[in-house]
Parts: sequence; C-alpha cells; structure tokens
Amino acid sequence: MSAETAAAVHADDHVEDHHPTEGQYWIVFVALAIITAVEVAWAEIPLTDDGGPLLVIPMMIMMLVKFVLVAGAFMHLYFDTKILNGKFFWWIFASALVLAVIVYFIVFATFEFSIF
Amino acid sequence: MTWMPTTITITKSRSLMADVAIPTDDAGVVHADDHHEEHHTSLGISNMKLAMWLFLGSEVLLFGALISTYLLSVARFNQERAEGNPLVTGPGTELFDIPFTSASSFILLMSSLTMVLAHQAIHHGDVKNSRIWLGATASLGSLFLAGQVYEFTVFYREGLGFTTNLFGSAFFTLTGFHGVHVTGGILMLVSLLVLSFQGKLNQDRNETVELVGLYWHFVDIVWVLIFTIVYLVV
Repeated sequence: MSAETAAAVHADDHVEDHHPTEGQYWIVFVALAIITAVEVAWAEIPLTDDGGPLLVIPMMIMMLVKFVLVAGAFMHLYFDTKILNGKFFWWIFASALVLAVIVYFIVFATFEFSIF
Repeated sequence: MTWMPTTITITKSRSLMADVAIPTDDAGVVHADDHHEEHHTSLGISNMKLAMWLFLGSEVLLFGALISTYLLSVARFNQERAEGNPLVTGPGTELFDIPFTSASSFILLMSSLTMVLAHQAIHHGDVKNSRIWLGATASLGSLFLAGQVYEFTVFYREGLGFTTNLFGSAFFTLTGFHGVHVTGGILMLVSLLVLSFQGKLNQDRNETVELVGLYWHFVDIVWVLIFTIVYLVV
C-alpha cells in the first residue's frame, strides 16, 4: 500500500475513532433511564394534574433531550454526518426544518373536523 | 475477489476521495469494487446509509401524521365527553397504566443500548459478542411487543375496542403501527442472527448491522415521543 493511500485509509479510521466508546453508550443509556424516571414522576405529582404548561413544557423539554441523545449518540448523527457539517447543506436543512415546524403548527392550530 | 485495474490518485488533503477507505494491493493499486459496503459518497455517508435515512424521513412523515391525528382526535373526544355528548361512549385515557408502560419504555430504551453494543462488537470483529447483543436486542423487542399485546388485551376487556370511540381508533392505530414497526425490526434482527450463524456477517459487513440499528433506534425514538405525548401529557 502506498503512503498516500495508507493516509486515506487511516483518515477513515480516524473518523471512526470519533464514535462513542462502549462506556459512553452506557452513560447515554443511564441518562435516558434517569430522564424517563423523572418524566414519569413529574407526570404523577399532583402539581401537574391539570395538564397545563407546568406539565407540558418540562415534558416536552425532557422528550427533546431524549430524542437528541438517541439520534445523536446511538444513531451516530452527531458523529458521521458530514452532510450536516457543510454550511450550505446545514442551512438548507435548518431552513426546511424551521419552515416545516411553522407550517405544521399553523395547520394544526387551524384544523377543524366534524365527527358527529 | 475481483481486482479492478483502476488506479485512482489520492491526495492527503481532505478532498472527497481522501475520506474514502479504498482497498489496495501491495503496489498501491486501488481496487474500487472489492469492498462493496465501504462505498462512500461525497455526502460523507454510504449510499445504503443515505437510503436508510431517506426511508426514515418518510417514516417521520407517517408517524407525524399519526401522532397529529391522535392529538386532534383525543382533544375532540375529551371535549365532547366533558360536554356530556351522549354519542361519546366507552373508556378513554383513564385506562392507561403508567407504571406498566414506563417499564415497557425502559425495556425499549435498553434494547437501543444492546443494539449499539451489537454494532460496536461487529465493528471490532467480535462476532460472538455481536450475536449475544443482537439476540438480546431481539429478546427485549419481543418483550416490549408482548407488553403491548397484554395492554391491548386489557383495554379490550375493559370495553375499549378499535371502533368503540374516537380515542380507541386513534390510540390503536398509532400504537399498533408502532408495534408493527417493532415486529419488522425483530424480523430484521433475527435475519442478522441467521446470517451471523451462517458465517455471512463479519466485520466487513458491519454496515448492515448499523443500518438495522438505525431503523431500531428510530423505532425507539418514535416510542419516546408516543410515551411522552400519548401516555404522560395528553
């Protein structure tokens, strides 16, 4: 193997080295388990019985954190998405995501249907 | 092994080709077709992985629609019931058994851990441990599925069927679709185990395990959303 091609192959190995270690996976799992326990506890306490913002907002935040942990660490999204590291693609992706969320909530807020 | 007589010039810069793991012989000749799973694109991920991400994108649309439908349906169901509409019959969200569902959620989260450990093992050429972790993932997935079947059975005995009311239709459709996806994941995991025992799943094909892992983690993420939105918030 030539020095140049070896450099290329090692460059790829270097990328792989950025994946989490087994210990880091366990840490992510423990974090997910703790957040799930807190979610259940938060939903069960009498303070949040009315289903208001005190219940919904913390639950949404905790759900988002779990989402990011699984997608980022377990699905390697944080580590091997060169597509998202390029500024051009990132801005397209981010713009589309923001637009999609805005359209979703507008449609959701104005949606009406009749069942009876 | 087919050696293609193609020589590709590779520089040390971080160009498109520099990140590609390309098998070569001792003379430095690049054999582009040797390692079909290691093909990468200019986007930084292999075509197979990109295809899986696109597929998962379409799944996001499916579950986004199902979760939205559930939210709208349950809001309407609760409103009509609170107003005393005589057409609204049957039980609603009071049937939920949160401790039981929390345990199910924990089981599915644990299966995500065993899935990444399976990929980690095969990535490092540890076939034996990859089999153990794949088996554990399939078992935990089956346990989750058994819990869902139990939950459905309890709900049915309590008087909530698919056509009982709007809540029942929305709930069974959403969680049922998720259950079908878990079943599909278990079949993929069992297929990987069979391939492994046939000697067809080794370090060179670790991306196959990673692709199934992506699907499995997606199913887990969907449950994270369902558990919080359906069981804890609404």
